[in-house]
Amino acid sequence: MIWPGVLRSLTLRLTLVYMALFSASVGIMLAVTYVGGVWRPLRQVEATITRDADALVGVYRAQGRDALIRALERRSAGARGRLAYHVLIAPNGAVVAANLADWPAVRGEEWVRYEFGTYATGTEEEHEAVVRDLVLPGGYRLLVGLDTEDLDEREDLIFEALSWGAGMSLVLGLIGGLVMTYAVSQRLDRINRAARAVIAGDLSGRVALHGSGDDFDQLSATLNEMLARIEGLVASISRVSDNIAHELRTPLTRLRAELEELAAAGDDPEEVRARTGAALEEAARLQSMFDALLRIARLQSGPRGESVLVDLSALLEDVVDLHRPAAEDRSQDFAVAIAPGLAVQGDRDLVFQMVSNLLDNAVKFAPVGGTVRLDAQPAGNGVEVTVADNGPGIAPDERSRVLERFYRSPGGGAEGFGLGLSLVAAAAERHQAELRLEDAQPGLKVTIRFRS
Amino acid sequence: MHVLVVEDDERVAGHVVKGLKGEGWLVDHVADGRQALFQVAAETYDVIVLDRMLPNVDGLKILQTMRASGDGTPVLILSALGDVDNRVKGLRAGGDDYLTKPFAFSELVARIEALGRRKGVVQETTELSLADLEMNLITRTVTRRGQAIDLTTREFALLEYLLRNAGRVVSRSMLLEAVWDYNFDPQTNIIDQHVSRLRSKIDKDFDPPLLQTVRGMGYALRA
Repeated sequence: MIWPGVLRSLTLRLTLVYMALFSASVGIMLAVTYVGGVWRPLRQVEATITRDADALVGVYRAQGRDALIRALERRSAGARGRLAYHVLIAPNGAVVAANLADWPAVRGEEWVRYEFGTYATGTEEEHEAVVRDLVLPGGYRLLVGLDTEDLDEREDLIFEALSWGAGMSLVLGLIGGLVMTYAVSQRLDRINRAARAVIAGDLSGRVALHGSGDDFDQLSATLNEMLARIEGLVASISRVSDNIAHELRTPLTRLRAELEELAAAGDDPEEVRARTGAALEEAARLQSMFDALLRIARLQSGPRGESVLVDLSALLEDVVDLHRPAAEDRSQDFAVAIAPGLAVQGDRDLVFQMVSNLLDNAVKFAPVGGTVRLDAQPAGNGVEVTVADNGPGIAPDERSRVLERFYRSPGGGAEGFGLGLSLVAAAAERHQAELRLEDAQPGLKVTIRFRS
Repeated sequence: MHVLVVEDDERVAGHVVKGLKGEGWLVDHVADGRQALFQVAAETYDVIVLDRMLPNVDGLKILQTMRASGDGTPVLILSALGDVDNRVKGLRAGGDDYLTKPFAFSELVARIEALGRRKGVVQETTELSLADLEMNLITRTVTRRGQAIDLTTREFALLEYLLRNAGRVVSRSMLLEAVWDYNFDPQTNIIDQHVSRLRSKIDKDFDPPLLQTVRGMGYALRA
């Protein structure tokens, strides 16, 4: 399962890249060492030989052959760190002077490096020399050289290091790469398996964690969180669409019934008017419900709208003005405390609708003769708007459910769609405001905290 | 008043054109964007009712073209795209008002008339009246059968709007927008309480009742 895909594996590719980089760096290091330790000294040796050769040719020209031989012998006897070699061959091929056992057959103005053995100490000693091959006037051939055995050894060492280093890094890199590829692909495979399960429709599938808390575990944990969120959202979507279908049934059934009765009403103008009115009422109700649903959906996922500075104090006075008659009709005490000069950043109509929906509920749930409170105060670096009633309140475990679409509190009667608080929640989220539902002892206290 | 209706849906257009003609207005109708641009250039209108989703050209494009060429005819945008952002977008493109589909016909008429009033086509008056109910917009007084009626500022605004649209059905959201200047669907009966207070002041001691509730639609002030 791993082998066919192994060349496509990112880990293996990374391993190969690292191996190449590592080999290249070893190579560069050795190249630098080679230049500094072998190449440069060799050029110096050559320069020295050139100087020697020039001097020797000068001696030969000025003083002749015998003076040259003496100069060669003095040169080879002088201790200059490197052994000095020479060979002088007569035009007839006879060796006139030499301190080398053999020499290369090359002729001409050439640089020659060559190896030879000596037996001066009884055992064979390896030597290497750099030699310049010269032809003197009169047909003599002169070879002048210096010993470079130390450089040769250094060179061998460098090439040995290079081959070992490259070889080992290749072998170890390959083994390491394969092991790593295998380990990583095992971990990725778990994630793949979980993802495939989700694709196949099992939203409860999760990535098994390794337990070490490493990068893969962190990735897996994040993916699991994402899957949990998706599962939750899908569940809520299907719940909402079930609810929508269900909620639409009632007004549609009524609408249909009214229209059927209208069709059967004949010429009775009273009956026709009553049926038409009732049908229009149901149509308006349906439209209202759709508008509210669309609005909530847009608030939750639509693009962020225009945000302006809203004069909250004035806006709240308007909401209070709108709701006061309703509270008075139920003989409720409507206590209002709005600090002057409050302002929030947001959408004016939405803020109005949020508070209006809360007051709607408060007036509805507070008993006849009860109390409805609206407070708005600066709080920290924001503003808090609180709407409270002394009605039955909402049990703590029910508080998050009342924000769901179509959820109606048991005491609320049949009126309303169960969308009011959902819209408040969505609008609060859109304003990055915090929504809190608390016990007003007795009753419900809803607080919207706007940040500024 | 001379009104141009730009709407591609045959049935909606038919309904609108017929109704607006019923108001005694001169109504033209075109069904697509290119024709609309041509018509707007060729004729002078008092108000244009413009659908947003049109074949060939986006309604907003037409509006922008008109405004760019210096045409300031009041435009009422008609759209199935009913959320706040689209409304803002439509008004920013140069629209004067925005109405979401589906709509109550009376609301369309009220809005067209308000635009006509702004343009000065509909005569601005200082007094409004219906039967024996009279309102003076300068002294801000209301009388019925010569008897002064004491109204709060809101009630006065409510009655003024109803009187301006006398004989037509006015929806709750129209009242919320006209009187409170907030734009949303109230969904509950909060407006009703204000209307019933107004009704108790103008209708309770008098006959016949003028302020009527129209089921499923809203209210109408009718003699």
